[in-house]
Amino acid sequence: MRLKYSANVLPIRVMCSGRVSPHFILKAFQQGADGVLVAGCHIGECHYGKGNYITAKRVAVMKEMFQFIGLSPKRLRLEWIATSEGNKLAQVVSDFSQEVIQLGPSPLRRFKKTIQWEPTQKPADTLKVSP
Amino acid sequence: MNYETIVTTCTYCGCGCGLLLEVLDGKVVGTLPQKDHAINQGGLCIKGWNAHEFIYDEGRLKKPLLKKNGSLEEVSWEEAFDTVATRLKKIRDENGPDSIAGLTSARCTNEENYLFQKWMRAVIGTNNVDHCARL
Amino acid sequence: MGTHSEASGYLESVTVEDVMEKTREKMSKLLTEKEVSAILALKTSHGHPTPYLFLKPEELKEWVTDEAHRYPLTKILIKIARRHPDQVIGIPIRGCEERSLVELFKNNQLRMNRVKAIGIVCTQAQANYCRCDRPFPSQVEGGDLAKPVEDISDIEEVERLSEEERFHFWMRQFGKCIKCYGCRNICPACFCPTCTLEDGALVKPGGMPPEIPIFHLIKAYHMADRCIDCGLCEEACPMGIPVRRLYRKVKKSIKDLFKYIPGEKADEKGPLEFLGDGSYELPGGGK
Repeated sequence: MRLKYSANVLPIRVMCSGRVSPHFILKAFQQGADGVLVAGCHIGECHYGKGNYITAKRVAVMKEMFQFIGLSPKRLRLEWIATSEGNKLAQVVSDFSQEVIQLGPSPLRRFKKTIQWEPTQKPADTLKVSP
Repeated sequence: MNYETIVTTCTYCGCGCGLLLEVLDGKVVGTLPQKDHAINQGGLCIKGWNAHEFIYDEGRLKKPLLKKNGSLEEVSWEEAFDTVATRLKKIRDENGPDSIAGLTSARCTNEENYLFQKWMRAVIGTNNVDHCARL
Repeated sequence: MGTHSEASGYLESVTVEDVMEKTREKMSKLLTEKEVSAILALKTSHGHPTPYLFLKPEELKEWVTDEAHRYPLTKILIKIARRHPDQVIGIPIRGCEERSLVELFKNNQLRMNRVKAIGIVCTQAQANYCRCDRPFPSQVEGGDLAKPVEDISDIEEVERLSEEERFHFWMRQFGKCIKCYGCRNICPACFCPTCTLEDGALVKPGGMPPEIPIFHLIKAYHMADRCIDCGLCEEACPMGIPVRRLYRKVKKSIKDLFKYIPGEKADEKGPLEFLGDGSYELPGGGK
């Protein structure tokens, strides 16, 4: 259909929204993402049967956790978009993009770690004793 | 089937946190912090949690090794003791006691470390003795 | 501090020593009649309570219960059961330990027919300290049951702060972390042989503090439907990070969203353990 949506979006394709592990969402925020949008098939229409059922539960728990930590839960969104709904996808992505821009950069990016220690040299190889 | 926990002290640094070594069927399998210890009060650092790991490590030497003809060879304890005693005595007599220094390890027991530094100070006569955790 | 008699008045008022004696006799009987091969409990060693596996009834003379110093006995039981899967082992448990046993049965880490549980009660002082909402197991040998403590003031204290203040609070707390893995090692609900927290791809190794907040949030999510709120994690943290508050909040969220409490029923699976039937609707439609 070649509809346009915001250019600040990095799409990551997975076979089912159930594949989106909470680790991915956490890692995305840790690496500096300002928002994460998970788009899956409608409930009852999962190509694999029940994959999107668990996605709903996971995202609910993640949102509550983010709320408690001080990361706005609006930065994580879950949408059910069928494969054929190209218009809806473009619309949702643009809306979400606008919302996240209004929320501002993620606090994880603004926060500077006060203690950061990196090892300065590689550890020496263990001594090998020849027989 | 035997399980018990032994009350001991961590040897790694100068804090001396209380540890419980878990012994299952005669083998040390894990570590637990001692909850009622005045110093650590139930917490341990990562070295303390893994204080049991070096016990059964494959890299540990089982026999004394002596360098002969440029490579290390296994020898008996008597030969090792004789060589070490003779040569250390010779070095001490020729160059004075301060030419010898001793280095111990955090993986020895605290009692062994005490013995070592006592030996260095009383027998060899030097106080050049140190520990890998600078104890 | 409430008095013991305000509790449900389970039995006529007996002293703590009587209850201990009664429990000791029961455990002795279990050993002599070979109903269990051993009992895992605390014994005084060099003046300190330490976990020990009692094999003979005579050894039970040295059995102690120490409320102030709790050890993760159910976690030790997993270690022993893995080595000796055919033996039936008895274990005296408090309320929290019973919840952890239920969770471990559900996750196939222990078998119900290989564990014989003997209930012991906690005092009211201990229940207040632990903020425990069920300080007694389902079956006890005797003694007054302490009153459950419903106290979410620690969660509310954080929720009263603004979003930015909350973030700063948590990042300052997580910044103290020295990555000792104490919270994970001592947690009775953490039993995975390969732990995600040690995975180099998700949590960058090296560097102090570790990558925050992902380090603590991974553990919080993994234990979301398994945390039994025993409080051992906070006691084991050498830096005093209030991790228990985070896990309690996640536990509360699971209770509010899915009406599920870990450790209650042995046949009910946690909501994140199975795919489900699609009847769960995200509040607010995912926005």
